[in-house]
This record gives sequence, structure tokens and C-alpha cells, in this order.
Amino acid sequence: MTSTKDIMTLAVEIGDAMLRNGAEIYRVEDSVIHILDAYEVENFDAYVLSNGIFASANENREDACSMIRHVPLGSTNLGKIAALNQLVRDICTRSCSLQEAWERLRQCQKLPSYSRLLCALACGVGNSCFCYLFGGGVADICLAVAVGFLEQCLLFAFQSHKVSRFLTNVFASMFVSAASLLAFMSGLPVLYDKLIIGSIMPLLPGIVFTTSIRDFYNGDYLSGTIHLIDALLTALCIAVGVCIPILCVRFLGGGPVL
Amino acid sequence: MNFIIQFAVAIIATTAFAILFSAPKKELLLCGISGAIGWLFYYAFTAAGFGPVAASLVGTLTLTIFSRTMAVVRLAPATMYLLPGIFPLVPGAGIYYTAYYLITEEGGNASAKGLETLELALAITFGIIFGFSIPQSLFQRLGRRLHGKRRCESCDRT
Repeated sequence: MTSTKDIMTLAVEIGDAMLRNGAEIYRVEDSVIHILDAYEVENFDAYVLSNGIFASANENREDACSMIRHVPLGSTNLGKIAALNQLVRDICTRSCSLQEAWERLRQCQKLPSYSRLLCALACGVGNSCFCYLFGGGVADICLAVAVGFLEQCLLFAFQSHKVSRFLTNVFASMFVSAASLLAFMSGLPVLYDKLIIGSIMPLLPGIVFTTSIRDFYNGDYLSGTIHLIDALLTALCIAVGVCIPILCVRFLGGGPVL
Repeated sequence: MNFIIQFAVAIIATTAFAILFSAPKKELLLCGISGAIGWLFYYAFTAAGFGPVAASLVGTLTLTIFSRTMAVVRLAPATMYLLPGIFPLVPGAGIYYTAYYLITEEGGNASAKGLETLELALAITFGIIFGFSIPQSLFQRLGRRLHGKRRCESCDRT
């Protein structure tokens, strides 16, 4: 006979991992409830916010148990969400013992991501493709690869120095904007606006915005609002970052077109 | 021909971004295709003379339906295909031009672009909401046909 506490710890730990990797609130709440259900805990409640989990079970019994977790807003990892989702599925079909579930949770958390080099290359290629889609010319497309590659390197550097997300966005978009203007002013035939638009793509809050809409749709208004504000602030940071180099150039009186 | 090029480039672009968000290797191409489908509908509708807002709405709607279908086919969360797929439709250009016109003191252009960006964001919002309003039972029926009866219907979610 496993105690309520063991089951609860597992459920909340899996919920925590899902939330940390950017799953929407409904999925997390649903998972916690299903896990508790699958291990036959009867009296429980779970409440999930975009940055916290609250759960309690068997309040009126001897082995009463409640847990609170604080989960900071993090970056999205689709692979981990999918793996955790599969784990919850298997727990639901009762094909997974408690020990096994812990073991698989640990595996999910250690799931390898792509190498940094590949990410930087992907960022470059993605940027140049978007640059083409938004109407950039040949020079823009080629430059976007380089800008994207360096941009992702910059993001990794910020990440390992734990720079705040807002500053990261401001500096990364400043870099993109400055690099594009530099290319433009050195006489290369680039449309600097297309180059900038293509290169800010990886910074855009598309994912948070989508999560926010899904939260609203599922009735989690509070979490939806938190995600929405996050998306708005990110967009604002990008706008500020892009503008600073343009303002500098204008102030110094360079470039008739600016 | 133009459509094929746009489609192919959108696949590469979205796949590349799916890598940035650590999508599993075997789902990468499908992530790319989902983004390309959204973009293709957007592109086709703007080419047919619709405004960018209507085109965004249709693009997001098809993208959402595609993601949900793939979710039951591949037994993965719909989020997997929806999140990378949304990128081509996010109004990054709108954010840039709004900020640009604001600092170049062209107030009229800035407010027009700002309003358009807001409208595009709303179009995406409603595209996703309409897409998720389609009852899950329809998708489940497809899933059951493909995978047989699931042992636990309650976790057959998107």
C-alpha cells in the first residue's frame, strides 16, 4: 500500500515538469488529476496557475497531504512535453507502477536537446527562409543566415549567464537591428527592414501568445492573462531593441533613407 | 510554381524553428508541414485579394485543424504542431513597422500599422479558438479508426 504522499509527490512532480517546459494549464491540471485518479486517490483537488501548482488529497483522513509548487515561467521544450504526455497516458492505462513512473520521469527530464551548433544553424536557416517569405532579396537571405547564427550564439551566451528574459530580448533585437543597419550602410544592396523582420522571428512571442489563447479558451483566465502580458512585454522589448540602433543612426545623421 | 516554392521554403523555415524548441526528431517534418500549410493558406488568400487579417484567420484555422488531426494520428499533443506552425503568421513585421514609424515621427502610419498588428493578433486568436471549437469527438473518431479503441478514452486529449 503506497501512501497518499508518494502518489501526490509523483503527480505534482510530473505537473511541475510539464509546466516548466511550457505546457498549457489545462494539460497540466488534467495530468495531475488523472495520475491521482489512476493510483486510486479518491478525495483530491488540484489547481494550476501559469507559475504554480496547488494540490491536496484526502483532507479528512489520517494521511492528508497537500502540496504547493512554485514554477517560474521558462522556455518551451516540445520534446519533453510530448514525452511527459506519453508517460501520463501510460499511467492512466495503469501499465506503469509508481517506481517505474519515477524512473521514466527522470528519463524525461534528462531528455537530450539538439546541440548548440545545430540550433544556431537552424536559427540562421530559419531566419533566411522567413526573410525570403517576407519579400527579402538574395543579399538579405544570405546575410540573414549569418545574423541568425550569431543571434542564437548570443542567446546561448545570455542564457548561460542568466541574463533576464527582457534584457535578452532587448539586446538580441538590438544586435539584429545594428547588424542589419551596418550591412545597409556599408553599401550592400540589402533591404534592411526585411532583414530585421526575418531576423527577429526567433524572438517573437508567438508561442507564449498561443499558449495564452489556449488558456483563455479553456477558461483559465488568470493564467491566460499572465501569458498574454508576458507576450506583450516581449513584443515591447523587441520593439525597443530594434529602435535603439535606428535612433542612434538617425541622431548621428547617417543614411538619407533612415 | 510560386506556391510550391513558398510551401517548400515555409517547411524549411518552420522545421528550423521546431529544432529551436526541441521538437522530437521524428516529428520535425510534420511541424514544418503544419507551418507551411498555415502559410500557404495565408499566401493564397492574400494573392486572391483578401486582406491580411482574413488571410491570417483562415491560415490559423487550417493550421489548428491540421495540428489537431496530426495529434490523433501521431498520438502527440496538438501543441507540438501548433506552436512551431504559428510562427510564419505571427505579425513580426507589424511590430517592427509600428516601432519604426513611431520613432520616425510618422504618427499616422504608426497608428495604422499598430492597429493592423492588433487586428492580426486578434485574427490569430479567433483562428485558434474556432479551430479548437470543433468537437474533440470528431477527431477521436478518426483516432479510433486508426489506432483501434483506446484503453483510456479520458486521456485522449489534444
